[in-house]
Amino acid sequence: MGKFLVDIYYVWKNELKLVFRDPAAILLFFLVPLLYPLLYAFIYNNEVVHDAKMIVVDDSRSSLSREFIRKVDASPDVEIVARLDNMEEAIDAKNRGEAFGILYIPCDFSKKINTVQQTQVNVYADMVSMLYYKSFLLSATEVSLDMGADIRVNVVGHGTRSQDNSSMQAVAYESVPFYNPQNGFASFLIPAVLILILQQTLVLGIGTLVGTHNDHKTFSMASQAYFGKNVNAARLTLGKAFCYSSLYIVISIWVLKFVPYIFSLPQIGSMLTIMAFIVPFLLAATFFAMTIAYFVSQREFVMPLFVFTSVIFLFLSGISWPWTAMPDALKAIAYIFPSTPGIHAFVKVNTMGADLAGIRFEFIILWVQTIFYFTTSVLMYHWWIRNYDPKFKGAVKA
Amino acid sequence: MTTETGMLAIMRREFNRIFSSKICIWGMVVAPVLSMFILIYMMNAGLPTKIPIAVVDLDNSSTSRALIRQLDAFSKTDIKFKSVSFREARERMERAEVYGIYYIPKDFSKDAISGVQPKVSFYTNNAFLISGSLLFQDLKTVSVLASAAVGLQMAEAKGISERQIMPVLQPIVVEAHPISNPWLNYSIYLNNTLLPGILQLVVILFTISSLGSEVKSGLGRKLVEMGGGSSWKILLGKMLPYTFIFTLIALLFMSVLYGYNKFPMNNGFLPMFLAYLLLIVSSQALGVILLGVFPNYRFALSAASLMGVLSFSISGVSFPVLSMNPMLQSLSIIFPLRHFFLIYVDQALNGIAFGYSAYKYVALLCFVFVSFFFYGRIKNFLYENEYED
Repeated sequence: MGKFLVDIYYVWKNELKLVFRDPAAILLFFLVPLLYPLLYAFIYNNEVVHDAKMIVVDDSRSSLSREFIRKVDASPDVEIVARLDNMEEAIDAKNRGEAFGILYIPCDFSKKINTVQQTQVNVYADMVSMLYYKSFLLSATEVSLDMGADIRVNVVGHGTRSQDNSSMQAVAYESVPFYNPQNGFASFLIPAVLILILQQTLVLGIGTLVGTHNDHKTFSMASQAYFGKNVNAARLTLGKAFCYSSLYIVISIWVLKFVPYIFSLPQIGSMLTIMAFIVPFLLAATFFAMTIAYFVSQREFVMPLFVFTSVIFLFLSGISWPWTAMPDALKAIAYIFPSTPGIHAFVKVNTMGADLAGIRFEFIILWVQTIFYFTTSVLMYHWWIRNYDPKFKGAVKA
Repeated sequence: MTTETGMLAIMRREFNRIFSSKICIWGMVVAPVLSMFILIYMMNAGLPTKIPIAVVDLDNSSTSRALIRQLDAFSKTDIKFKSVSFREARERMERAEVYGIYYIPKDFSKDAISGVQPKVSFYTNNAFLISGSLLFQDLKTVSVLASAAVGLQMAEAKGISERQIMPVLQPIVVEAHPISNPWLNYSIYLNNTLLPGILQLVVILFTISSLGSEVKSGLGRKLVEMGGGSSWKILLGKMLPYTFIFTLIALLFMSVLYGYNKFPMNNGFLPMFLAYLLLIVSSQALGVILLGVFPNYRFALSAASLMGVLSFSISGVSFPVLSMNPMLQSLSIIFPLRHFFLIYVDQALNGIAFGYSAYKYVALLCFVFVSFFFYGRIKNFLYENEYED
């Protein structure tokens, strides 16, 4: 047992030296996790779309239509940038990118209201962004309900204040957005991105280190084995994994604690609960990275091999495309990767304030992955040592 | 073997290098095609449906039950738990078993009829913004309808004729016209940019690889000799085989997106094909530029990876560029995917005249022109033939 721990310690220490001597490892393990989350949070930091540009074509030219336009313009999400005479001009302006939506008020707008007929306004939205469409539609609908309520009171006649209230709206309703009260884009996407950055930089960094060993065809160089000590594949795997994960414990404090803090993203989870699942997550991600590093046969190959998976892993985690709407086959595939339970657990704890019982399933999955990928990475090292380090070959069996 | 020189010889040699390399087959062919299958399959439904919610009905009257039935009939909402306590609903929301709660208070129908204006509440889980907003639309609509249903009874009591009821309940209707994507289909919306984004990423990475690997294996100088010292012959000979292969991938994407899935391509094949072609050559140019700026194989690849992944965000497909910080708005122009995205919106989605997008095509060409300035540096990089890790 004593020797077991000493071996692991030596591998750990040696690997640590190796990491700090390699500029590629420093870039991927430290600089990218340090700066990339800031860049991402900066991109989405405005959270919501304000003042989406809209053009008005008002064929009604009445006080009621002007009231409608004024109220739409006053809503925080929409800004009226131009009033044009006809739809042709408006469409041309939209095509030139001067606005993303058109509000068209037909000529009988006011006349219909005054004669108690249902009237209509048209909102045309460029689908360059769903968020613009949402802003236009929600703002116009709010104004229509608001003005509609006043019109209704005029039609059914005024009564007491409470009677008026209930003719304006027989049933009141309130919407309570949970966990992300301002419907922010950063608050929703960044937590997932942060977890993914941890996993993907581990994959890229470890892949680079393994690829470098392969270039030199001395795979056990980082282990004591090279100097004649007896370190088998399991101890080599554990020692290296502890080196990477211990570094990442520190890095994840920055990524998961300080970055959300700097950008005031929702952060209501307990630190202890986050720590509780981040340990198996980092172990699972480390062993996962060490396993797939098998395929990195040269120092530079990790990027062409794996960078594209970032997009796939993010979508498989069910954040952008709702998890409930994902085909079952893809859900099953998604659970192969540590990022999926990692992201679910982080969103539940950090954003939604769940306790450990609330992430029991993710917690178990992460430990299962840890054990599974530990086994595969031992096999990977075993294979490499046998094939590329003949000097060491005999010692493995001992 | 060493006797062959000229651009054609370099091209032939490059095809051999590509097809004898497992990593090229994986990264250039398998990765984009696999991504395409996963993403297209994932979003096959177009618009997410059946998002689970819980209903807390403390009124439990025929009116409230009718309201719940109406809600259940909406396509986006799936009532998973009926008649639970608010506490239970809240717990299920915390465990992400449901993404919304619809709460009907006690005495809801009694109060509504007697004009007390009861209040229904709905809670959405916006940690999952897409699910949350989709549910919000359904839950809000059903609440407005509830108001209308009660209003209808009240209006009838006031003697307003049937013909007049709708104008009274809803005097102004907003009619929405989401131009060119009336289905609000997320697959159209996302895959038309995600797939080209993956293509762009792969193109940049393999452009750098193709040049860097020469130096790494000590063949840089030989390559320069094959090209007779002409940087044009060397670079065109190296690049064109990739242009060809990636164009085939682009055609596969186009046939799946616009052929099989019948996504809108309102101006026909040519403008979009041109956009894909320019996306490929501008990404190759960006690869050359990156290797010219950072003449270190590994570091140039790292820079390319960071840019390639960032493209997905900064192209504006998820969050509009104009709502980002002005600094990021200017930064977005150095990403080919940004220009491609704008062309796609104009030419495929909106089908507006080619003239409106012309300068966006030119923007992509600019990458190619700028890359010419780096040809000399790349030749030196190859000639010096010094690999540094």
